[in-house]
Amino acid sequence: MEIMIPVWEQTAAPQIARNDLKLLKDAEVALVDDNLDVAFTDQVELKLREAYGAIVKRLIKPLGSAPSPKSLLEEAATCRVAVVGIGL
Amino acid sequence: MRRMELAESLHVDGYEEAVEMFYDRGWTDGLPVVLPTRKLVEAMVAASGRDAGESLGAIPPKNGEATIGKLAVNAVMGGCKPEHFPIVLAAFEAMMAPEHNLNGVTQTTHMCVSLTIVGGPIARKLNFNSRDGVFGNGYRSNGAVGRALRLALWNLGGAVPWATDMATMSHPGEYAFCIAEEQDDNPWEPLHVERGCAPGSDAVTVFACEGPHSVLCQGTPEEMLHVLTDSMSSLGNNNVHAGGQTLVVLNPLNAEEFARRGWSKKDVRDYLWENSRRTLADVKGCGIIHEGFRKAQVDVGRMHFRHNIDSPKATVPVTNRPEDIHIVVAGGRTYFAAVLPGWGSFGGYAVTRPIRTS
Repeated sequence: MEIMIPVWEQTAAPQIARNDLKLLKDAEVALVDDNLDVAFTDQVELKLREAYGAIVKRLIKPLGSAPSPKSLLEEAATCRVAVVGIGL
Repeated sequence: MRRMELAESLHVDGYEEAVEMFYDRGWTDGLPVVLPTRKLVEAMVAASGRDAGESLGAIPPKNGEATIGKLAVNAVMGGCKPEHFPIVLAAFEAMMAPEHNLNGVTQTTHMCVSLTIVGGPIARKLNFNSRDGVFGNGYRSNGAVGRALRLALWNLGGAVPWATDMATMSHPGEYAFCIAEEQDDNPWEPLHVERGCAPGSDAVTVFACEGPHSVLCQGTPEEMLHVLTDSMSSLGNNNVHAGGQTLVVLNPLNAEEFARRGWSKKDVRDYLWENSRRTLADVKGCGIIHEGFRKAQVDVGRMHFRHNIDSPKATVPVTNRPEDIHIVVAGGRTYFAAVLPGWGSFGGYAVTRPIRTS
């Protein structure tokens, strides 16, 4: 019997994360702050600046649980690197 | 109607093999499905009067396109008949509205699930249950529409536990969560008419909420309100800490008693808002995470009622506005009502969309 498929076939190859943190030196890094844990995000920002020499541009999402608005994404895209998710 | 491409199907030899294939490929939520044959799926698409390739948008979090064709496959799997499909589509259109924040509803650690409330004559016509046992089993329309929506979220949105759905407890509504509002035995305007739809029209409202909490609710209006306000402001629910919206389901006898004593639905809602409150001392007694919740929401302007409140005796309402308390009439004519707290001001807000039948 012919069965219709309920999902979309996976088309995009998964992205491989780069792990060379030396790339962050003097690079402009967009840190997308989900506004859910300010203290933790402060620590991440500090680490990016002091341990890796990044120039951090902190962009605050209006609501942590919803996708970032287009304007925020466009601003993040002007940076060399963007941190779009952090977790404990 | 555009014929679905062959690439969207596969051939399987036997019934048992096909049923097991859905489990093996992760295409079902744990229960067996109706096999989506081409004939059934094409009948579903035809009932919508829309093109199989038309998309209602990308379903978060994995952003699979919600095309009419793929939604039809999932509707067949859930047990829908073609006449149910316009309701499934209207519910999806509602869930995709930004204020519902489906992305967050799907992935939060909270247990909220999008409840679909069917309003209008179509509910009776298609034999949706709006009376005794309204949140329970026994009715194909409630079960099939509810399950179709959940399967589409599963297969197209990737709403899978431990993958993207991080609900700590969740609730059985993850399988199917659909009720109808009682139209005939109801002294008030139904929810969808209150929310802007024409009287006598058909519509769905979606609202992300916990499962129903039982409320022993009988007697005079004042007695019923006394117990409802207590149930709505339980310290364990998100509304007390993070505002948002909440849902109260009164049974037809409750509503009749209110109306007989001269209470409009607005009167009931206003009273509930004024009296479903907790003191700041109560909230603070819950610990630091609740304080963080509060602060984060105040800072982004989503809980203005929490601004500048310092006195431990000050009280805060469970929602920012009376309009954020939704009231639906459904269930049996007895002495129980239900409260279904929302997610808080993070989203899951109620959205209403008309049902378009061709």
